[in-house]
Amino acid sequence: MKTLKHFIYIIIGLVGLAACKPEINTPKPSHGTANFSRFIAVGNSLTAGYADGGLYLQGQLNSYPAIMAKQMLSVGGGTFTQPLFSTAQANGSGYLQLTGFSSTGSPITAPVTSNLAVREILPVPGFGNVTLYSKYSGDINNYGVPGIKLLNITYAPYGNLNGFYERLLPGDSPTNTTPYLAFITAKPFTFFSNWLGNNDALAYATSGGAGDVLTDPTTFAALNTLLINTLTATGAKGVVATIPDVTSIPYFNTVTEGAILAGVQKANPTVTGLYINALVSGTNYAPRVATPADLIVLTFPTSKIGQPVSTPYGNLPYGLTPYTPIDNQYVLDANEVTLTENAVTAFNTTIVSTANAKGLAVFDAYTFLKNIKLNGLVTNGISLNSNYISGGLFSLDGVHLTPRGYAIVANEFIKAINAKYGSNIPLADVAAYGGIKFP
Amino acid sequence: MKKILLLVLALIPVLTFAQGFQVNLEGQKQIGMGHTGTGLVQDGASAFFNPGAMVLLPENYIQAGISPLLFKSDFNPAGTNVQDQSLNKVATPFNFYAVWGPKSSWWKLGLGVYTPFGGLTDWGKSWQGKYVLESLDLKAIYFQPTLSIKINKVFSIGGGFVYNRGSVDLTQAIPLGNSSGQDGQAELKGTGKGYGWNAGIFIKPSSKISIGLTHRSKVSTTINNGNAIFTVPTSLQSGFPQPNSFTSTIPLPATNSLGIGLYPTDKWTVAFDVNLVNWNVYKVLAFDYKTNTSSLQDTYSQRNYKNAVTLRAGAQYKATTKTALRFGGGYATTAVQDGYVTPEAPDANRVYVTAGLGYKLTKGLDVDVSFEYEHLMSRTQTNIQSQLSGTFKTNVYIPGISLAYHW
Repeated sequence: MKTLKHFIYIIIGLVGLAACKPEINTPKPSHGTANFSRFIAVGNSLTAGYADGGLYLQGQLNSYPAIMAKQMLSVGGGTFTQPLFSTAQANGSGYLQLTGFSSTGSPITAPVTSNLAVREILPVPGFGNVTLYSKYSGDINNYGVPGIKLLNITYAPYGNLNGFYERLLPGDSPTNTTPYLAFITAKPFTFFSNWLGNNDALAYATSGGAGDVLTDPTTFAALNTLLINTLTATGAKGVVATIPDVTSIPYFNTVTEGAILAGVQKANPTVTGLYINALVSGTNYAPRVATPADLIVLTFPTSKIGQPVSTPYGNLPYGLTPYTPIDNQYVLDANEVTLTENAVTAFNTTIVSTANAKGLAVFDAYTFLKNIKLNGLVTNGISLNSNYISGGLFSLDGVHLTPRGYAIVANEFIKAINAKYGSNIPLADVAAYGGIKFP
Repeated sequence: MKKILLLVLALIPVLTFAQGFQVNLEGQKQIGMGHTGTGLVQDGASAFFNPGAMVLLPENYIQAGISPLLFKSDFNPAGTNVQDQSLNKVATPFNFYAVWGPKSSWWKLGLGVYTPFGGLTDWGKSWQGKYVLESLDLKAIYFQPTLSIKINKVFSIGGGFVYNRGSVDLTQAIPLGNSSGQDGQAELKGTGKGYGWNAGIFIKPSSKISIGLTHRSKVSTTINNGNAIFTVPTSLQSGFPQPNSFTSTIPLPATNSLGIGLYPTDKWTVAFDVNLVNWNVYKVLAFDYKTNTSSLQDTYSQRNYKNAVTLRAGAQYKATTKTALRFGGGYATTAVQDGYVTPEAPDANRVYVTAGLGYKLTKGLDVDVSFEYEHLMSRTQTNIQSQLSGTFKTNVYIPGISLAYHW
């Protein structure tokens, strides 16, 4: 009977084992050769967490630098403070909300106009109206300023012309004289991310090549060198990202020449082409028939097509004759696309070579987003692509990302950092960040 | 005109069976001995283990057992130190056998009701793989009337017809958030049936050795008219029409077994079993939805399973006239090839050990308790379809008890 007792004990002991959970051993957290104790993020709207055509609290909370900083906590990362809008003014600049779909499946959006942080709209002489926002006066780790170009970083009056920058500065527009570069480097830091330069090409492209100019690549190179030299002057390490191909975003790929033409032909089968005012060379524009290589912007009001326009030859339908081409501002025509692509390529060459010279980590956003455009991206059972709304990656403005898109970008930054500095910042859980919100 | 082809989602639930879904808990005496029994005559569980051996039972049997199963899985997403642990849920595989025949006759009739396949996994609604699987509750109950015939002193044969009643309840998050950011939900729920057979040969050339050979056939189980329930934001509901139903056929694989029993002394029984499970029938898994839309297409996914082998060994020691001590163990290879591992049953090669105790309560009544511990080797994988990437590790704890009345 003694053996029997032992046996019972063994079985009871085994049952007790069932309380144990399996656990997988993971590598010890390490910051490698980098120091993440004060991490700052330098950049534009993407860095600020801009989404759905605006900067608002929810977007700020899901900015890629905020996601990165959260993941850095286990490897010596410090507090990461963002210039958040207050909860009372959580809607910040206002943004677009999806309210439904039309019977043909087109999305319907509406601007959010309550609880804004707009302070005043100030006419600045020689520049125009600048929307100013409620001031932010705390510590800052995320220096993302929507709209800023690399071209602007040394321009002293810039703090008077960009409301998103102005709100971070102590002085009111038009009294500011602190250039962006001086502002971001005023307080010591140990690690930085830099994703400036998108607007040097994007601002031109999104205005259909009509409302802005591409930054000159030589100027870009000089400013980029200055920026990186300044950021690394005190020994900080960092990560930089290349500029995505602006033509790979839904802003340029949703309202296509083919789709508009097909819509017109439904009503009038005799129409054979759309007319646009296209770049010939230099600043010479001439009307011609649009081709699929001409990119039409997401914000083009398609209802304009076919509306009568008064011309010397009488009233003619908009967009359908050489005398009434679609306005330049709505079309990034094939030649403008080439100019933009050449600029982006030149900028990226500069960005990568400067980073390599300084031993910085590089996230090649250009290649990464181009791949998604071509092949889509499947991760954690989520199928993502670059399509407007259905793709899950880009927010309602067709340029900026959804929280899920920003989490994916944060992970790519983290992978680049880990590879360069031998750290093992844990990756963020992409599934925990949401996509487009559907009503 | 901003026309979009909204949401062609190749993400709708995909159900997997794996070695992990073969539940080898068909009799407490046998579990105690490492789930051997093809080459033995132990009790009514022979209806499952070897219908050919059933006729050699010295008495009639009626018995029932239950093996509450705790499947504890851990997932570590690649590049993180997160541990996603499956929730504590207890599955209840059971077995019931009745065997009857005239005393010392050349035939016996039997009925087996047992659960050879099943799974209960619940990862919760907030883990990293929620878009692949939240929870799965899968049951297959086989009903098997059986006839066993003694041919001569050495040979006996037996066979049974199998009716399977299967049920499935699978939930998965859909990456379509509503205005408060909450995910959509998919649930596939249904019951189905399938048919098969189980046959065996039992050979007892001497009092020192016995040999068994069995084949349990494939049971192709079809779920017709299962409920396909999709909860998505209102503006997208038309893409996921409700109510909707699905049809799917899943081949539960055949198992070939060879078992040997050795009786070195009066007190010792030693047994060895080899199982070959024909998982390679499981090539693809298709779901056919009754109502399709551009968002909700039928799914067809590659599984490409390979055959799996299990090696088992066990022993029984009759400590007293009333008590038997049992122990055993085994090793099973996985049916799931690299790239196809999923959280439904994060399969891997596994080892297991078992222990058991039998006690004669009265002349005709035995109580048997068993315990099994299974360890699935940690497996680091990126699933080809979902790209869910990380390491799985699983432990399974299975206590069990049965009562057998014989006369």
